Amino acid sequence: MDLSTQPVQNSMKPGKWVNSTCKMCLHSCVTRIHITDDGVVNKIEGQPTAPSNNGRLCPKGNAAILRHYDPTRFKTPLRRTNPEKGPGIDPKWEPLSWDEALDIVGRELKRTRDEDPRKLLPAINDFQKLFLWAWPAAFGSANYFSSVGNFCGGGYHPMNGFVHSAFAAANDVNYCNYWINNGGGDGFSSHLHVTSAANHMAKARIERNMRVVVVEPRLSIGGAKANEWVPIRPATDRQFALGLCHVLVYEKLYDVKFLKKDTNAPYLVGPDGYFVRNAEGKIYIWDAGDGEAKLWDDPSIKDFALEGTYQVEGKECKPSFQKFKDILRDCTPEQMSEVTTVPADTIRRIAREFAKAAQIGSFIEIEGRLLPLRPAGYNFYRGAQGHKYSAMTNQSFKLVNFLIGAIDTPGGHVGATLDDQMQEIRGGCGMINAGENGMMKTMPHQLHPEVPFSYPPNETHLMGYFPIGVDPGHLTQHTLENPEKYGLNYKPDTMLLCHSNPVWNLSGNREKWFELLRSLRFIVAIDILPNESNEWADIILPAHDLLESWNLTMIEPPHHEGMCLRQPATEPLYDTKSEEDIFNEISERLGILEIWNNIQNFVNGFPQKPELLLDPKTKYGDKEIAERKGKLWNGQDLNWYIEHGHAVTPRKPEKWYRPWEGMRLHFYIEDILAARDDLKKKMEDANVAIRHEWEWYDYQPLPTPKLDPVHEEPQEFDMYAITFKDIQINFGESIGNPWINDIVFKDPVHTSVLLNTATAKAKGLADGDIVRIESPYGSIIARVSSSQGVHPETVCVSNALSRIATQNSAVRLGGGNFNELLPSNLRNTDACSGQPETVAKVKLTKLTTMPAEFMASKSAYAHGRGH
Amino acid sequence: MAKWGMVFDLRRCIGCNACAVACKQENTLPNGMFFTKTLSEEVGVYPNVTRVYIPTICNHCEDAPCERVCPTGATYTREDGIVLVNHDLCIGCGTCVVACPYDQRTRLEPEMLERGLFNNGELTPFEKQGNVRFTAGTVQKCTFCHERVDAGLDPACVVTCPTEARIFGDLDDANSKVRKLIHEHRGRQPLPEKNTNPRVFYID
Repeated sequence: MDLSTQPVQNSMKPGKWVNSTCKMCLHSCVTRIHITDDGVVNKIEGQPTAPSNNGRLCPKGNAAILRHYDPTRFKTPLRRTNPEKGPGIDPKWEPLSWDEALDIVGRELKRTRDEDPRKLLPAINDFQKLFLWAWPAAFGSANYFSSVGNFCGGGYHPMNGFVHSAFAAANDVNYCNYWINNGGGDGFSSHLHVTSAANHMAKARIERNMRVVVVEPRLSIGGAKANEWVPIRPATDRQFALGLCHVLVYEKLYDVKFLKKDTNAPYLVGPDGYFVRNAEGKIYIWDAGDGEAKLWDDPSIKDFALEGTYQVEGKECKPSFQKFKDILRDCTPEQMSEVTTVPADTIRRIAREFAKAAQIGSFIEIEGRLLPLRPAGYNFYRGAQGHKYSAMTNQSFKLVNFLIGAIDTPGGHVGATLDDQMQEIRGGCGMINAGENGMMKTMPHQLHPEVPFSYPPNETHLMGYFPIGVDPGHLTQHTLENPEKYGLNYKPDTMLLCHSNPVWNLSGNREKWFELLRSLRFIVAIDILPNESNEWADIILPAHDLLESWNLTMIEPPHHEGMCLRQPATEPLYDTKSEEDIFNEISERLGILEIWNNIQNFVNGFPQKPELLLDPKTKYGDKEIAERKGKLWNGQDLNWYIEHGHAVTPRKPEKWYRPWEGMRLHFYIEDILAARDDLKKKMEDANVAIRHEWEWYDYQPLPTPKLDPVHEEPQEFDMYAITFKDIQINFGESIGNPWINDIVFKDPVHTSVLLNTATAKAKGLADGDIVRIESPYGSIIARVSSSQGVHPETVCVSNALSRIATQNSAVRLGGGNFNELLPSNLRNTDACSGQPETVAKVKLTKLTTMPAEFMASKSAYAHGRGH
Repeated sequence: MAKWGMVFDLRRCIGCNACAVACKQENTLPNGMFFTKTLSEEVGVYPNVTRVYIPTICNHCEDAPCERVCPTGATYTREDGIVLVNHDLCIGCGTCVVACPYDQRTRLEPEMLERGLFNNGELTPFEKQGNVRFTAGTVQKCTFCHERVDAGLDPACVVTCPTEARIFGDLDDANSKVRKLIHEHRGRQPLPEKNTNPRVFYID
């Protein structure tokens, strides 16, 4: 071939385009992949026909080729030959055949299962193949060793389930005119299809002049692009929101009609915190028109009272709105300013601007349906909600939206499902169902059905004690350290990792996690690239990458719906398998293939179309599962998806806006109290010793301004440490990919930890100085740089500086893992939601030099520049 | 004949560098080499502070200093305004690298290719198919994706930009989006004092 006549640009070379879907983060941007006539993948672009990502891709999506061709990929099944295990210690892998490897895994897991299935700690975190998460159920264990939903949104997801009966939530970018972003990167740097979210956000900001107010300790991308950055002391986001609520309520800037008609705000609450009910269980309200109590659905009600104190059924009671108003009495802007450091005038002004922008009383007609228009929304995510009192914190943000009537309205704050196949599956998560007394049924469990209470606990992370939370994976460290205290009558000895890196992403002391890993008899890891966790494995089972496998998914899309196809752009480069094949083979060796197929039917929703049901005795590969998912979504076979690439359409307004029409939403969450009391009783009955230490305060039907315990650490820890990620390192391991490294380590916010300029000066720290950052729980080492874009009490640690020892030579290491600074104990875990505190109190000590172990060529600090 | 140019909307750019990585994909650039990248700069004093993200690229100047100083005529301007380097003529003297006021040219050192993207002295199939375009020792820079443009497509950085902060079009067409944006927002050229008349404009 005469190369001189060939195009030099990759996308222009002779070849073909294949429709597919990205998996460089958990979301599912639709792509097209270019393969040369010689079979080399040489360009990936966004799929122009997909209305979600609009043909666009983030830097991670653009870097997928280098994951595919990464020479450190696991190329064959591997067996450890070095008995010594530890961080950075070479396992001395030895290749072996698939049959040998699977036989070993089958034998070891069978032993575990025969002895006690609870001894297996599975960590299965592939969000694009969510059905794999259910495999432990076939094995007989709910002992998920996972931090995945926990670190991101332990309180966030259950609260979305309470308020919207949905997994996630987003401001409605179609109509929003005033967008408050609190501690979340939505539309700028992370979360919920970041490419499409950034696209929509930019259009709304520039083409519709939407105002953006960003509230957070560090000037993030969002803060930089916003109309206003409001720096806030870490872990005080709830108090900021309550300050807004105070202004909205006491200045009467709320949506009275919405609260009276569409929520339980008028329902009367008795002294025990429960609604006041008659003998039949029906709830009372107070009719201000007739001056008497009536049942909530009495057709003669003239005016639902929101305020006041009444006597009903011999009890003193108040509308739940009044209960909130009582709490807010102590949440004045001045009081909340002291906690948050946000000036009281700013809190007051933003509340008023927000209420004004909400256009309370306005309507819009969309597809023939008249809907309330509330073009203002309070959006929030990881940083804002990741605190001890997470359920209360999440609820406080929701209540800002409740007060202006913006829940699930055009322009407001709207619930978003996880994968749009939730109807009829996973116990009905994501469905809108009618609950009792006119209210929508709450659905706090959005990932898997509730894990039943047990004592001794069947789960080392105590999920059975978090009836409305997300698996608190970090607690495993705490319970295994104190087995008697928790009544643990077994000790896990086996681990199964599948696209999961808990050693990197769990909070708590690394050395204790290492001890746990050392104590395990057998670890198997299904993965693509070496990382902090799979270097501990005894057997590696190498998986296909995203360019070699089949799948169909649409994961956590706010504004769109419809399945996206992943198909092999090329034959597998190495001797790898799909996750489906791997779990089939393991299941067969364990004698649980039939159970696994039945569970797959359930979690994939196949019973909705019985012709799609898997035969229990047959092994189904990734292509066959993908085809069934496509047929379930729109009746189209795989050829249709291969041709079109996706079935993405804008989300239907009837699904997006007020899907609960006619039901009342939970302004006041009585279910939280019911869960508390149910748990209390179960703990009493089972005589669970730790019930006396359990953090019973955490279960509140309405948020209070109580300070999170992180603020009560000893005074010597005078700074707050937070971590952050930007779009290049959003959701998962990107560091190590040469193109990501090339852009990340040129960006000054990712090459040093950031300190406010004045604070650095006051502490005698100059740019480039090396410090030890020490919390009551652990320490890391870092290079500091000063920045004007940082709250004065805050140290900001990029997620790019959090990688630790691994066999992946391209990964640049930080000076320790940020999560080391965080506690993994009950005191700092929300007993209501399972969310651990993600802010640490720290002190800084200047070191004369960077310790040698952090200055090897793999160090992130050996490259790049300061801020 | 069109005169191609680009507009950067600074209000939209979020500094994500998807452009930079898309460009690396499209052009098989070795580590450390960029045909485009986004710079960031903090502006202001706490709490009245922001950060600006500034995409940069070869400006395909109408009066290109790189072309003026090239001793062999390797750097040339196409009729449509795209400034390119003929690598058969380039002797790698580096005069243009110094002359470019925008720091947009890089001399391709042989070891940049030899090290490989994974820095292990081996080349992936992706690099092997892509590196055939390169002559070690010559000067490289953004080509405005001239082959895509010739085929009627936008440059790779433009099609991937999540926020549509990069707009490509014909500066000679009064009805083109780039012309309208430049007119409506008083688009500014980078370093106008250099008298290079860049075909790249910034709006904010």
